Amino acid sequence: MALLEIQNLTKRFGGLVAVNDVSFSVEPGQIFSLIGPNGAGKTTLFNTLTGMYRPDSGRVLFRDKRLSGLAPERIARRGVARTFQNIRLFGAMTVYENLLVGQHPHIRYNYFDAILHTRRLTHAEERAEARAHELLDYMGLADRASDLARNLPYGAQRRLEIARALALRPKLLLLDEPAAGMNPQETDELKVLIRRLRDEREITLLLIEHHMRVVMEISDRIVVLDYGKKIAEGTPAEVRNIPAVIEAYLGKGALEKQP
Amino acid sequence: MTSRRPIVLLGIAAVAASAALLAWPRATWALIAVLGVLFGCLSVRDYKPARFVIALALLLVVIPTAGTHNTFLFELVTTMGIFAAMSLGLNIVVGMAGLLDLGYAAFFAIGAYTWAIFGSGQASEFMSGSFPLPGWPYFYIFSALAVITGALTGTLIGLPALRLRGDYLAVVTLGLGEVVRVTANNLDHPINITNGPQGITPIQRPPVGWLLKPLEWLGLDSSPALAYSIFFYVLVLAVIGVVVLVNVRLDRSRFGRAWVAIREDEIAARAMGISLTHTKLQAFATGAAFSGVMGAIFAAKQLFVSPETFTLLQSITILAMVILGGMGSIRGALVGAMAVALLNLEVLKSFSDFLVHLRQTGFVLNLGIVSYNFANLSDQIEPAKYERMIFGLILVLMMIFRPSGLIPESRHRLELGERKKARDAAKGGSHGAA
Amino acid sequence: MSEALLELLPSVLLEGLLLGCVYAMIALGYTMVYGVLGLINFAHSEVFMVGAVAGVEVYRYLGPHVDNPYLLALAALVVAAFISGGLAMAMERLAYRPLRKRGSTNRLVPLITAIGVSFFLQDFVRLIEGLWHGEFYMNYPADAHLEAMHDLPLGMSIQNKSIFVIAVTVAMMFALDHLVRRTRLGKAIRAVAQDLPTASLMGIDPDKIIARTFLIGGALGGIAGVMFGLLYSQINPFVGFVPGIKAFTAAVLGGIGNIYGAMLGGLVLGTIETLGGTYLFFLTDGALGNEYKDILAFIILVLLLLFRPQGLLGKTQGEKV
Repeated sequence: MALLEIQNLTKRFGGLVAVNDVSFSVEPGQIFSLIGPNGAGKTTLFNTLTGMYRPDSGRVLFRDKRLSGLAPERIARRGVARTFQNIRLFGAMTVYENLLVGQHPHIRYNYFDAILHTRRLTHAEERAEARAHELLDYMGLADRASDLARNLPYGAQRRLEIARALALRPKLLLLDEPAAGMNPQETDELKVLIRRLRDEREITLLLIEHHMRVVMEISDRIVVLDYGKKIAEGTPAEVRNIPAVIEAYLGKGALEKQP
Repeated sequence: MTSRRPIVLLGIAAVAASAALLAWPRATWALIAVLGVLFGCLSVRDYKPARFVIALALLLVVIPTAGTHNTFLFELVTTMGIFAAMSLGLNIVVGMAGLLDLGYAAFFAIGAYTWAIFGSGQASEFMSGSFPLPGWPYFYIFSALAVITGALTGTLIGLPALRLRGDYLAVVTLGLGEVVRVTANNLDHPINITNGPQGITPIQRPPVGWLLKPLEWLGLDSSPALAYSIFFYVLVLAVIGVVVLVNVRLDRSRFGRAWVAIREDEIAARAMGISLTHTKLQAFATGAAFSGVMGAIFAAKQLFVSPETFTLLQSITILAMVILGGMGSIRGALVGAMAVALLNLEVLKSFSDFLVHLRQTGFVLNLGIVSYNFANLSDQIEPAKYERMIFGLILVLMMIFRPSGLIPESRHRLELGERKKARDAAKGGSHGAA
Repeated sequence: MSEALLELLPSVLLEGLLLGCVYAMIALGYTMVYGVLGLINFAHSEVFMVGAVAGVEVYRYLGPHVDNPYLLALAALVVAAFISGGLAMAMERLAYRPLRKRGSTNRLVPLITAIGVSFFLQDFVRLIEGLWHGEFYMNYPADAHLEAMHDLPLGMSIQNKSIFVIAVTVAMMFALDHLVRRTRLGKAIRAVAQDLPTASLMGIDPDKIIARTFLIGGALGGIAGVMFGLLYSQINPFVGFVPGIKAFTAAVLGGIGNIYGAMLGGLVLGTIETLGGTYLFFLTDGALGNEYKDILAFIILVLLLLFRPQGLLGKTQGEKV
């Protein structure tokens, strides 16, 4: 059973078809990458997957249940987490708090529990705090725990965003250009992290990425989009040699110039 | 080893301020000193019992004693208290959740009118039954009820309004505030519910006969006036205590975090599983509940309500408190309330007196190119009535120079002990914290 | 009775049209600023008020010297346009621009600033008028010639001043249409409204254009103020608040950001309000009367925002992630 099934997904904005009849499936435990030139519709696809846009046609199934048409918060509660291309942290909150907020759907007590400070609240908060600490250590943010998120350096912010997504205890994690702006050492660490997430936490990952080396080296499977359409799918080895893919990136006629 | 210095300093300051206020009960600066010490009790870390005792002593012994020599003090501090509760309420809506509500006075009005109508003869205009309902026990019942009606009204208004984006929400709440006022002003026909612009009076208060004996025993003037001053003072204090407690608890819970999350980034918040509708409604309803209960108390204290009490100026005044004090910060909201109340009741009045004095002595201000003879000052100029200008200026200056307020919000930092506690909890699992 | 109601209809419509002219002029200021900045300029209602007050002062000082009532009215319009336009520009420069340059995405801050400016101006004008003239409830003096009525078919009658107001409105609308569609400034404003970053990359100075937009919007608001004074004569420093909200409603009704929408919305709202105010009394048998007509505009606003936020002529927009 595929974890995520995208069937004939189409999303239009006025006259522009951003995502055009795209279909593919992601198996549990895969590291799946979505690549394509700028404007190919990758982030739009993410946004449609996570409920920010309603698809115009087609559907999305997550663990065999329909995901398309649900509101973003319900999708998140089903176990689909994401990071954003332009980092969207809760700037005024500390790193620690961002990790507490990320666990929101898992912290179960009601309004009156909060006001009356019941045992249910203290237990739930303690568990959440423990999880937050665990994530701090896992992502190497422990010494920045009390810093405000907006004061963090860029690399730490990216890590916090991933940590916050992990706080949701997702089965599927969507990463939107996680390697953007990273130096070679950081990208190596990122690759290690992605593999660890898959191996240690049983998370399936779907990435949008431009950094070709990262994509080729860690992906189990790749889908290539261009102008909203899927033009290729396969393993890294298969995809890198497909002419259409090369043309999409380097333009028509690039092939002729190759030695 | 935590330093003992802050608490010692606080203690000394408390004694000094108390002495000052008791010696000069009419001196504003002495009151400010006492308020400053109270604020210190909220800010100093650790030594909870000591801080508690100092605060209690100031609130329940020093201020009341000074108040018996200067009854205006009770009025001032009680009003500050009412403002403070509303400020805390609006702080949740605007400061924490980032929802600009410009019609906050409407909830205050609804709470006040609810008791006003049933606690006076007004209700007999449209209902059968014996009215006014007597102060005991109905005032207390209605005050408790006001919390619920406040929350309900907040939810009702919030359901349509909170779907709107920030700017539009502001305009709609602005309009809503006006609608409530205009309705109150005109609902004297076809059925007379609010008695229109004349307002409703007299409004029942709970009896304080039981206070007269102790007052006499303390050697004080055992008049109902003093008794009521003290009664409302303590009542407002008690309600504020509860409001602050609720605020602190909510702030440190998933609800407070959700509020700040939607203020910071709605899209990211939704991606974390936070429901915008629920979260916004909760903020709105909570703020409205605080305002409602204070409205009921206000009605009983003032004995009179009219639509003119619940204007846009009121809403903006409370907003100024939140902005001045610090958006999202509980202590900030309290400081803002105290500052604005002082401004309103003391500073502006003094400035007004000052201008009158200038007029009477025919003072001429000569700036070279322009000179102005204050004797010509029309008697229409009264700074006490220029709150709009002052609050407008406060809002603009704060936004330009210090948008986070006098006391910026302080988010959840890791305390020293928390790391270890959490690690133990993580390892121990169901054993719980050490 | 319904015959009497029908008889009233033409004059009520005319009255609504006149009110609508005022709303349209104010609404243009809201919509133009919203178009380029995405911000509701709460203080625009006070720009309108300042225009009205400026007009009164013109009447006070020039009145004894000028005989021709139309010339006098024009002078008032011009002075008000300058002062209100200047005030709007000053607001942008001193209050909004520093916040814009700071670059924070917090939407509350500009809103709260605008409210602060609005409140400040109300009392500030009150203070100035109080110091200067000892009173702040002022009247536009009635002029026999302007008040003179002409009879029209269908039982209507119209005063000269009303004709004047309509003429000014029409002239302004044509002028604005010309500006927006045929001048470089107009094109630049439209470019900035559509896509500020790209416009600035194309060599347009966004600061300058925004300042000019505030100027034009403010000037129109000032003109509206004088028109208001001519039509309804009594003004005071608080006269901007309610028409401001209604004009904003009109701008939303027509489609916020759309200039033609503001014009249309203003006229439509003025008509609905006057119709509603007049007929509500009859329809509810005296239970609800004229006092509730202000709430009518507000109800329209809420319904619009909930069910058709793009108004009559606007388009829906989404937020880019």
